[in-house]
Amino acid sequence: MTDIFMGFFLATLIISLFTTRLFRLYSWYALNSLFLGLIAMSVSFELDDNEMLIVGCITIIMKSLIIPFVLRDITLKFNLQRSIPLSIQNHFLVIIVPLILAFTFYLIEPITIMYLQSNYVTIAVSSLFLSLLLIMEHKTVASKVLGFLFIENSLFLLAISATKGMPMIIELGIFVDLMMFIVVINLLFKPQEEK
Amino acid sequence: MYFVFLPSIIIIVLSFFKINQIVMSFVATSVIFPAIYLFFNHMHNDYFMVDDLNAFILLVSSVVAVGVSISMISLPYRLGLKKKQIKHFYLFFGIFFLGLTLSILSNNMGLYWIGLEFATLSTVYMIKIKYSTFAYNESWKYLIVGAIAISLILFGIILIYSATKPLLQEQAMDFYSLIENAKMINGYLFEIGFFLVSTGMFIKMGFFPMNLWIADIERSAIYQVGALFSGILESAILLGFFRLSEVEKVVNNAHLITFTYVYGILTLFMVSFLIYRAKDYMRLFSLSGIEHMSLIVIFWVSGGYFAALLHFAAHAFIKPALFLSTAVLESHRKYNFRGTLKGIGGTPTLLISMLMLAIISLPPSPMFFSEIYGFKAMIESATLSSHFLLMVGVVFFILLLLSIVFYKFITIYQEALYEEGEPSHIYRSEILTLSIFVVATLTLILPPVLQAIEGIMS
Repeated sequence: MTDIFMGFFLATLIISLFTTRLFRLYSWYALNSLFLGLIAMSVSFELDDNEMLIVGCITIIMKSLIIPFVLRDITLKFNLQRSIPLSIQNHFLVIIVPLILAFTFYLIEPITIMYLQSNYVTIAVSSLFLSLLLIMEHKTVASKVLGFLFIENSLFLLAISATKGMPMIIELGIFVDLMMFIVVINLLFKPQEEK
Repeated sequence: MYFVFLPSIIIIVLSFFKINQIVMSFVATSVIFPAIYLFFNHMHNDYFMVDDLNAFILLVSSVVAVGVSISMISLPYRLGLKKKQIKHFYLFFGIFFLGLTLSILSNNMGLYWIGLEFATLSTVYMIKIKYSTFAYNESWKYLIVGAIAISLILFGIILIYSATKPLLQEQAMDFYSLIENAKMINGYLFEIGFFLVSTGMFIKMGFFPMNLWIADIERSAIYQVGALFSGILESAILLGFFRLSEVEKVVNNAHLITFTYVYGILTLFMVSFLIYRAKDYMRLFSLSGIEHMSLIVIFWVSGGYFAALLHFAAHAFIKPALFLSTAVLESHRKYNFRGTLKGIGGTPTLLISMLMLAIISLPPSPMFFSEIYGFKAMIESATLSSHFLLMVGVVFFILLLLSIVFYKFITIYQEALYEEGEPSHIYRSEILTLSIFVVATLTLILPPVLQAIEGIMS
């Protein structure tokens, strides 16, 4: 089951690279986070780890429900541009994305002997590179912020797959940081409204 | 030991109330007391560990915080800030220092990252305390670049954790366990993690190819933000690099040396020419900060711990002072060097001159000694290898680049001192701030202090 969720996780990230509308990007982010939460829950059942189950639930509630809703609210409140044209054209993206995936598999190849689930690590690392590509290909601030949130998801995936979960206090700290990130974004948009 | 966080929490709480600004500045200086206590009384628990290295870095950062908070007294008159903006500054200053203390004192890589993230996010809002379109755009830029850098750091930390977890279990998050068990660590995965962490740290310090973002941000923000960046934030980042590079040194020293030297020398190359073309004080000092950061990491990986720490401390005192003195130097025009030291009085001219000449390592600046020891360490590290001539070439190349920086600073200094310009006004709190930093810098060349710094890593 984890493999299927992992596939959907990567698929939603790749699709979001081709998205040119902001709300649709939020939806893909929500779906991506949903699959991330499901991966955490699935791994927690495999390992019989209650902490990871809690983290998975928090991920689904916060990242696939609250954060997309808050971002949608910010977009409407500050009337942000909803068309997000890509600075890298689609036909180049079609080449770049598989290249990134192939490069990452090559990069992680030496650890395949040591780790049974090295493919998960590969997907997490490639998600990082794909999220960085998402930041690079967009010029609007909102979509760049989404790129950062996708990076956060790939970090989380790495934490789940490569380490079988980080200590609880660290994961909660990361959630708090994420919330502060959203608060800072809100504060940053404010003067624009006053202006 | 949790009392160390108390001053920052008090600052955060008081920032919500109506309090006299001078009182607030003096409350903010209380951050120095726990730092002094911890410098002499080391302690540890599950998540925190105070040793010579982080106690020293915390003390240096606290002195910088004291200087910055005293300089805040004159800021409303200097920049025309409103009370609400000053309160916002203190709120985020409190969060910033809380995060930094957490980061510096933690023995846990995860907590280190959380502290760093708090500090990064709090500075985002500080950049646009004095609102302008430039500051607004730069704060967005900082949010994005800072977030990418910090994400790379966390990504690297997770990879390091996954590389060491089979060996150390939950202890794999501790810096000390990593250093103690470095010989048994799975090299490949750890190295990928280490290089990602280092890249994130180097981006945050403005290394090549991300040279310009930090200069733009410091240009757009109020002067105190530049001081906090160069004096405190970079200290915490360097501490993380110091700790992890000690492990990488055991895992694969050749990779560490190659990676850091290539990164550092490329940065020095770019920055020296950018300094040569600098048109204003803020960018000049900001780029010079990047130059010094690259020297510190090069000295550290070469085994010149004393040189790196002395250089770090000197930079942490001199650079914030220069950023704060820019408020005086730029009081008439931003993009001007001519006659900027004219008419500010004898003592302030002497203080600023001392700082400007100290930053280019003119003796008896501590930076002069740190560079001598640093280059010595570089040569020593190559004496037993087959790369001795290459290392000599590298030292000469770095000296050549530093001479460009030296030439530019001397030219600007002469232009500022000897050419005609409009007289500027300097406030008493600004003189006090500069005096604190000059005294702190001079303290570094006292023999007992030099001995204490030398003893940190031995």
